[in-house]
Amino acid sequence: MTEKNSAKRSRLSFEKRKGLYGYGFLGLWMIGTLIFFLIPLIKSLIWSFCEVTINTGSTSLKWVGLKNFDYALTTDPNYTDHLCDMLFETLWKTPLVVIFSLFIAVILNQKFKGRTLARAIFFLPVIIATGPVYAIINGDMSSTGNTGAAQFSTMFSTDMVGELLQFLGIYGLSDDMGTMISTISDNIFGIVWASGIQILLFLAALQNIPPSAKEAAQIEGATAWEYFWKITFPNVSPFILANLIFTVIDSFTSPTNTVMKRILALRDDWQFGVISSMAWIYFGIILASIGIITFIANKFIYYEVD
Amino acid sequence: MTDTTDAVVKSDKEIGSGITPKDAKRIRMENMSHEEKSYLRRRSLMEMVWRFFRFVILFGLGFVIMYPLLYMISCAFRDRSDMTDPTVMWIPRHFTLEIMKETLDAMDFWNTLKTTLILNVGCAFVQVLSCAVTGYGFARFRFKGKNLMFAIVIMMILIPPQVISLPLYTQFRHFGIGEFSVNLIDNMLTMYLPAMTGNGIRAGLMILIFRQFFRGLPKELEDAAYIDGCGPFRTFIQVMIPNAASAFLTVFLFSVVWYWNDYYVSASFFNNTRTIALMLQNLDTELKQRLFNSVTVELSSREQIVWKEAGCLLSITPILLLYVCLQKYFTEGIERSGLVG
Repeated sequence: MTEKNSAKRSRLSFEKRKGLYGYGFLGLWMIGTLIFFLIPLIKSLIWSFCEVTINTGSTSLKWVGLKNFDYALTTDPNYTDHLCDMLFETLWKTPLVVIFSLFIAVILNQKFKGRTLARAIFFLPVIIATGPVYAIINGDMSSTGNTGAAQFSTMFSTDMVGELLQFLGIYGLSDDMGTMISTISDNIFGIVWASGIQILLFLAALQNIPPSAKEAAQIEGATAWEYFWKITFPNVSPFILANLIFTVIDSFTSPTNTVMKRILALRDDWQFGVISSMAWIYFGIILASIGIITFIANKFIYYEVD
Repeated sequence: MTDTTDAVVKSDKEIGSGITPKDAKRIRMENMSHEEKSYLRRRSLMEMVWRFFRFVILFGLGFVIMYPLLYMISCAFRDRSDMTDPTVMWIPRHFTLEIMKETLDAMDFWNTLKTTLILNVGCAFVQVLSCAVTGYGFARFRFKGKNLMFAIVIMMILIPPQVISLPLYTQFRHFGIGEFSVNLIDNMLTMYLPAMTGNGIRAGLMILIFRQFFRGLPKELEDAAYIDGCGPFRTFIQVMIPNAASAFLTVFLFSVVWYWNDYYVSASFFNNTRTIALMLQNLDTELKQRLFNSVTVELSSREQIVWKEAGCLLSITPILLLYVCLQKYFTEGIERSGLVG
């Protein structure tokens, strides 16, 4: 009995000691976070309520309340426009990117010849799309017009979609649907290039579906359609949320983002207070949109009970 | 369904009944009822149609992805006049290396590459190490305030760098306390210090990946090491790191890519240090200065494309080579890196 007690006591103290080692592992990160993340974060929050003047060696602050926010939202000529444009674009692009990447991931998960090559090609955007190269490619695609975009719009043009629909005998499609389809086909370039990491994540999720589930579905005679909705979809649903969030963050911080450019341009005028308030409005919107997405998505997500 | 038929054929072979697979199939077909046959026929037809569609979809979208790269290669080796020649689409009429040379010169490519390797790849490497240590701390130890700290990690992922880049700038401008401050702007430490402490570019995401990965490793590994008298730090270095090699490689690749492509952070903190991403951003003005000796020369945007695309090609080639060599780890390592669960 005493042996057991002493063993328990020493185990407890061992756990505690181990906990202290935890601080050891995190120590460097904690210092760094304090200096390079938390202090700047709080500073920028304070700045957004102040008029900031930079002197040599120090910054002097004057409390002006909500004036900076007011300036950013009502007076600045470009900020609100850029913000609205970007919000709208994120709104329609995000679901498309997620649906598209899920679709591609399901295909890339199947067995066929040349799968490795196909995967390598579809992951290419991951290594290119975050940099300035993408901005140039994107710009050239639109500036060359006839030689650039025409190349694949011959493949995915709206006319072709329209003709395909006619061929299938679908005439009574409403105009909204038509414009939606044409928007998608016109922006196929942007969507494909924005979904590299999302495909990667979905593929990882798909590979984690237990083979027993697949076997059971086969024995029960499930069709591919049923299999997708009853097995695949519930299993990847946590990743749909992750991908939604990732896509939103990605589009808010992408190099082609106009709001970011505006903020950078203002920095050259040393208007630190205004920039801080702009950045915080921006962050507030990101946080709000992620909150809404999480709230909605959580109702549809299936978590496997471990 | 094709799997099952394959299995039957194989088993015939194993028994060694002397029937060729073709005969076996014929015999099986003869014994089938009408419904079974039509079912199989429908099945194989569906399979064929799907295969065809899959090929069309993958080929089309693969083309959309490859298109800019092919276009890049095509543009980089053609003469300026070919851009305005409507008959030239893919294959240049005047093949030339001149544009490539000019771009190499304008970007000061080899020096820039050296800077980029020292700065960006070095930072990427350092950051992987610091994030791994932090991720391990989050994965395996229990201590007070851990949840709060993890919330900070999540915040690091969510908060765009634009929000904190300005205060960070002033902080680096006068780095230190009171009198003892140094100007770190244009110093490589502005990138190295955050990377060393796990606060660099997308560090939050990397910490999260490592945490997930280390949580997935069996606890017995460490317990065995502890029983043998290994301390936690030594256990981490000697037991956990060798086991996490694939995760390290994957995250390192991501890290290199993110640092390589970054120009927001480097544009904020550097005036004279030139990385490849920054040079590519300023290629326009640089070219005009070097080629025509003035910044105000008007060049049509179509004609500029040749240099821009050549610059793009130069700046992605190193990372593309890395990707091709390590493609296997990039596309398959992620599945084992513990992002899932």
